[in-house]
Amino acid sequence: MRILLVLLAAGLSQAGLAQNEDDYPKLPRARYHSGQDVLNAFAPISAQTSNSIVELNVKENTVALGAVVDNNGLVLTKASELKSGKLTCWLASGKEVEAQLLAVDDDDDVALVRVKAEGLRPIQWAQNQVVEGQWAITPGLADTPQAVGIISTLPHRIRPQRAFIGVTFDLSAPQLIIERVEQGFGAAKAGLQRGDIVLKVDERSVTNSKQVIEILQEFRQGQKVHIRYLRAQQELDANIELMTPQAGQMGSDSFANERENRMSGDVSLRSEGFEEAIEHDTVLEPWQCGGPLVNLDGKAIGLNIARASRFATYALPASLAQQILAKLKTKAEQH
Amino acid sequence: MSVLKLPQGRPARWLLAVTLLAALGMSPAQIPTRPIMPQPVRVNPKDLPVAFSKPAPTSVSDLREIQDHVAALVSRVSPAVVEVEVGNASGSGVVISEDGLVLTAGHVGEWAGRKVTFTFPNGKTARGTTVGVDEDSDTGLMMITDPGHWPHVNVGEMSHARLGDWTLALGNPGGFDLKRSLVARLGRIVRLMPGVVQTDCTIFPGDSGGPLFDMYGRVIAIHTAIASSTVENFHVPISEFFDTWNHLTAPPPKPPPARPLAYSGLSVNDDAAGCRLSKIEKSSPAAKADLKVGDHLLSVNGRRIEVSAMFRHWLADSDPGEILQLEIKRGQKVLQVPIKLQTQPRSTK
Repeated sequence: MRILLVLLAAGLSQAGLAQNEDDYPKLPRARYHSGQDVLNAFAPISAQTSNSIVELNVKENTVALGAVVDNNGLVLTKASELKSGKLTCWLASGKEVEAQLLAVDDDDDVALVRVKAEGLRPIQWAQNQVVEGQWAITPGLADTPQAVGIISTLPHRIRPQRAFIGVTFDLSAPQLIIERVEQGFGAAKAGLQRGDIVLKVDERSVTNSKQVIEILQEFRQGQKVHIRYLRAQQELDANIELMTPQAGQMGSDSFANERENRMSGDVSLRSEGFEEAIEHDTVLEPWQCGGPLVNLDGKAIGLNIARASRFATYALPASLAQQILAKLKTKAEQH
Repeated sequence: MSVLKLPQGRPARWLLAVTLLAALGMSPAQIPTRPIMPQPVRVNPKDLPVAFSKPAPTSVSDLREIQDHVAALVSRVSPAVVEVEVGNASGSGVVISEDGLVLTAGHVGEWAGRKVTFTFPNGKTARGTTVGVDEDSDTGLMMITDPGHWPHVNVGEMSHARLGDWTLALGNPGGFDLKRSLVARLGRIVRLMPGVVQTDCTIFPGDSGGPLFDMYGRVIAIHTAIASSTVENFHVPISEFFDTWNHLTAPPPKPPPARPLAYSGLSVNDDAAGCRLSKIEKSSPAAKADLKVGDHLLSVNGRRIEVSAMFRHWLADSDPGEILQLEIKRGQKVLQVPIKLQTQPRSTK
């Protein structure tokens, strides 16, 4: 499937649309929908939230924002941005303080961090469901937000990036007979061979490749899936690691949109595979994720979890973020 | 080079023809029926919240006015926005009449008479056909042929449009996904040019042909292209649809006039180093010029080629017999290679 939009690489004149774009006046940048003139109207919301936000630094580089979630300096943020190294935080007061990683939720890429500081106020969570078209505000430590946009879609599941076990099936056969085992993928490493018949994937019986694809779509790169297969009348088991293909490998064409994504600036390292996320159209840098996404009341409707593409930033809905917080607190106490 | 603009005022002439025929005692019904473009709906600026008329909102109450208005607008106009599938391509479109006229981008349908599947935001599908395409303006018209009363929206006009006007972009970026459905984006008009309007609504492949709404909920443009800036994207103004309507609804010419295509025998793709020559056909102009697979194309006639699409554009605008001056990087060497284009051989598609 070709997914269409013209990419103008060489200006309008080459596409036959207009002769010289520079001859026509442009709206001042400050008046763009997330320009400074517009952001100024959001100042009261930033004033209300700036003490509920921290900027997290690893080795003096800002890597994420964080949402303060209690009176004792607990902060939620985006886990995959916290690479190893000395963790500190900038606060709205201008102070830099130490921070400590307490626990990580791998499923939704959330980390719980403790910040040693006074005067932080927990973010208030919004109770209402979001609606498409409402403001989506990403406040930071400054007097006006980092950027604003609108809610583009209601919360929905974000599938993991497509990952593969590395086999192709004989589509003419009535059973799932492996026709080819791709070198370098998990199936080859787990010892699967041409001619093996796959019976079960993730404990579910399968008879056609569509079922297998549907099950595997729920798995992320690096996760393992249990497979039962038949070889020489014998049922055997394997735990196979899923992998995302490198350029040129089988399946790598599913990354055809990557160039357009790159044209939109950076996307987050981990930008797929979330239980549920709100999409909003706020243009953020990857390091501007991890903090709260708030409404006009200054209440958190979500936790920004990934810059995903040219058109979308994902936020975990407030209800999910609070569930994860509860899980992470329990996890932190056990250690 | 392609013609930049079609003659203006064609719909007026078409209407005139109908009037003349009627005066001669002929019924317009004797003319093969052509779809009629709905007229733009008149609006009164007083009907919009005051916040929209300010250079920028100045208070939280302005923001709340904008929010309430935009949220209501999204739910009002969304049902008429469709995903369109033509061949193996996917784009977006918008229904503008109860009987199922669909505005889209020209490059989505590509030519008249093709089968189309439309998917509404609720997942319901309908069948139809491409009616017409105008390549220069990138306007496209389709029609739902399944019987039904289809959700539709009004069309607007852009004669009063100003820089800074707020706009709502809808579409199916990345293709249709029922779990996600439509994607709403807010922006403002950042530049107005003849034949194209630019906004800071963030669009993406799959949005092509999708509608840009003004704050009255009227379609004022159709998504057509993106460039390097995330927040400066391109839409075809609705006026282009009025101007090209006669062309869009004309019966397809038989046989379609074929412009001789220039042929180089050269295929290109992109890699980290830029535009790479990926295939060279035997005894083609490229083969005769001694080009090699793996060479990188730096420029054509002195103009830099950054990605392969630029070279393809260039080729599409060239004529057989033309000589292109290619600058090629081979290993560490930079070579100047002239290549004389030929007519497309019959056997290749």
